[in-house]
Amino acid sequence: MKVRGTLFRALVALLFALGAAVATAQDADTSAVLNLATNADPTLNPWTPGAVIESNLINTILFEQLTRYSPEDLTPSPMLATSWQAEEGGLAWVFELRQGVVWSDGDPFDAADVAFTFNDVVLNPDLGAQSASQFSAIDRVEVLGDHTVRFVLNEPFSALPYYLASFAGIIPVHVLGEAENPLQVASFNKGIPVTTGPYKVAEFVPGSFVRLVPNELYWAGEPKLAGMVFRIIPDLNTQVAEAMAGQLDVVTRLSPQNVRGIESTGALEVLRQSQNLFFFVAPNHDDERLADVRVRQAMTMAIDREAMIQAILDGYGEVASGPVAPMLGALFNGDVRQYPYDPEAAAALLDEAGWTVGPDGVRQKDGQRLSFYMPTGQFGDLVPATLLVQQYWQDVGIETDVQVMEWNAYIQDVVLGRNYEVTLAWWSMPPTADVAPYFSCDAAQTGNNIPNYCNEDLDRIMDEGRAALTLEEQADAYGRMQELLAEELAYIYLWWPDILTAKSVRLQGFPEITASAAFQHSFDWYVTAR
Amino acid sequence: MTQYLVRRLGQGLVVLFLVSLLTFFLINLAPGGPSSLVDISTTVAERNARYALYGLDRPVHERYVAWLGGAVTGDLGTSINQGLPVSRLLMQRLGATVVLALTALVLAAGFGVLLGIVAAMNPNRWPDHVVSTVATLGMSVPNFWLGIIAIIVFAVELRWLPASGIVSIGRGADLIDRLRHLVLPASVLAFGLMPNVVRVTRSAVLETKATDYVRTARSKGLPDGKVMRKHMLRNALVPITAMIGLITTVLFSGSVVIESVFGYAGIGRLAIEAANGRDYPVILGVTMLAGTVVVVVNLVVDMLYAVIDPRIRHG
Repeated sequence: MKVRGTLFRALVALLFALGAAVATAQDADTSAVLNLATNADPTLNPWTPGAVIESNLINTILFEQLTRYSPEDLTPSPMLATSWQAEEGGLAWVFELRQGVVWSDGDPFDAADVAFTFNDVVLNPDLGAQSASQFSAIDRVEVLGDHTVRFVLNEPFSALPYYLASFAGIIPVHVLGEAENPLQVASFNKGIPVTTGPYKVAEFVPGSFVRLVPNELYWAGEPKLAGMVFRIIPDLNTQVAEAMAGQLDVVTRLSPQNVRGIESTGALEVLRQSQNLFFFVAPNHDDERLADVRVRQAMTMAIDREAMIQAILDGYGEVASGPVAPMLGALFNGDVRQYPYDPEAAAALLDEAGWTVGPDGVRQKDGQRLSFYMPTGQFGDLVPATLLVQQYWQDVGIETDVQVMEWNAYIQDVVLGRNYEVTLAWWSMPPTADVAPYFSCDAAQTGNNIPNYCNEDLDRIMDEGRAALTLEEQADAYGRMQELLAEELAYIYLWWPDILTAKSVRLQGFPEITASAAFQHSFDWYVTAR
Repeated sequence: MTQYLVRRLGQGLVVLFLVSLLTFFLINLAPGGPSSLVDISTTVAERNARYALYGLDRPVHERYVAWLGGAVTGDLGTSINQGLPVSRLLMQRLGATVVLALTALVLAAGFGVLLGIVAAMNPNRWPDHVVSTVATLGMSVPNFWLGIIAIIVFAVELRWLPASGIVSIGRGADLIDRLRHLVLPASVLAFGLMPNVVRVTRSAVLETKATDYVRTARSKGLPDGKVMRKHMLRNALVPITAMIGLITTVLFSGSVVIESVFGYAGIGRLAIEAANGRDYPVILGVTMLAGTVVVVVNLVVDMLYAVIDPRIRHG
């Protein structure tokens, strides 16, 4: 009886899959051109400094990487590399490259391109390649054969395949190899680059649009769209208006306020995607008042994070217990110390730490006041969020001097110059639990460890995670890391926001999990006929 | 007249030099650096390496002299954020802004003068009040708000006109398509500038209406229309021309807001992106261009006075 039921269910599932496959093939509108938008002129080179939000997604389509994220669980899966293996001790990884891949100009892709991308570009400190610091564990790339490369590491780096899938496109040595600065070749970056992806650039009209057409030399065959157009529209409201007028099929990074309007059209739907991204208040650990963990814990308990998510994000987010987001599945450990909103407990903890409320309502101890300089940058929701945090802290006797700065100035002064005592910002990381660039002692002061947090126990656990080559070992090490980080509150974690993407209901094959994974699978996209 | 011209052009060059000096030092002293070189994930080492690549680690006066040396030979440098030569960027965007500005100018001047005349010919009666109300609206309504409302009404709801861009993809040579894209941004721009023309026209016409020679013409039995055309308009034109000259310089500097709202790739949008992104060479290039436009337009307007009013001579 049991076996028959299972068999029956399997048969039904098979029939559905077949039916769906048949429907898919028949329904695809092969003359469809997809309309997307970007907020500024993209730079068509994944490593050029400044090629960020406006360029990332289009570069993901154009420049294939060694690995990419699987749409089911974001584990690294083959792209330009077909298999990879760590050597004994984890200090080197060998990658087998895909055969038969050809650049859009007909030249074959091979190991020399990978070696050039890393040895001459990413690891060259003079070029300042975008996100190069994430690959600091790599010493060099050796060519073992036309289709085999060996990444030689300075230290174990178990998350290497994950980082290689994160905006790490391979660039062509036969085009950029002789350039004085391979990251500033205008005819490439702002013209027609040579690429490996399923679509290639046909036209780039500065200020207006970039038009993509199918790459007939693509290794997996013909993609299913007739082309794509990325229109350059700086204002998000205008992008939303264009989508509602039926002129755009995809709008990324929607604001929660746009959701209802988008959904009311009926032709568009809003995807709630996730990303390994967390908002935080960074306490500057160089300040001795903040070096006391009880103060940080009290500051966390004093903030009603649920209410802030409702107010600022319209509910599209989740209170964060640490830097690693739940979407990482087995590597996420939610069984850590939590800090529910409890201003009384916060006040009690501060009293216990010796900070008593003074006559002006601000807590003090040994002649010091719990009053902090809190600069914030004018970007997104940072200012309203900062003002709310200021209010919550005022209720428990912590005073803050909020200074709103222009975004550019904020980065130079606060992020790079570490000229702050507390500040609210966010980190977006590849979908791996390896958060060393943001937490290790090495990264304090001048690296990405903005709070200047330094804890050797933490460094040791993170090294274990980097050396762990099996999922079980990694889950164990990173699980302990998350416990420690929740106790220590290196950053005061606020929330993991939902990433909202609007897309046409007729667009299929678009992985829902994260935007970067979706764009890495652009070959699978198709539009159903009306 | 030639002496006058030469003198004016010389003065213009001095103005441009001073503008370049002031702008260069001000923007370099402002906090923050080029946005393509520094973002939230940049480390100090990366920032320093990138700055060295662009010579941004040299002292300010050294960089100014280097820029000036290039500028006088026509080389305005390379955009830091876009990687393209500044002169090429300006050329690419200038055409779009000129078309937008001219269209808005024609609309603002045309409707402005017309409405101003209507108001002046019917002082304190209902046409005057209607024109007054429209003019007040034009001056008070923020143009970014009006732009977005226009997009919502005409592009999203009615779908009569496109919401953004200069031209539809793949229809580059289609004049009708370009005109359709021009309607909303030019109208919104014109709506904000027209009130100035209305007011100046109204008061100029009212003033000339009260003069002796107009009273004489009317008492001679000349019809109103003829009085307007033969006597009043030309006299009223001097202040109106001045106002239009003022507006033109504003327009040609690119309407930063309108171009951003409508995704219109002109000089205005280039300017705001360069300013926000601390793209020093582009900021300077745009400022120089705007300065040149102001100098030239002021010169043209002054020359026009002499044409309109023979009593004005330039020596």
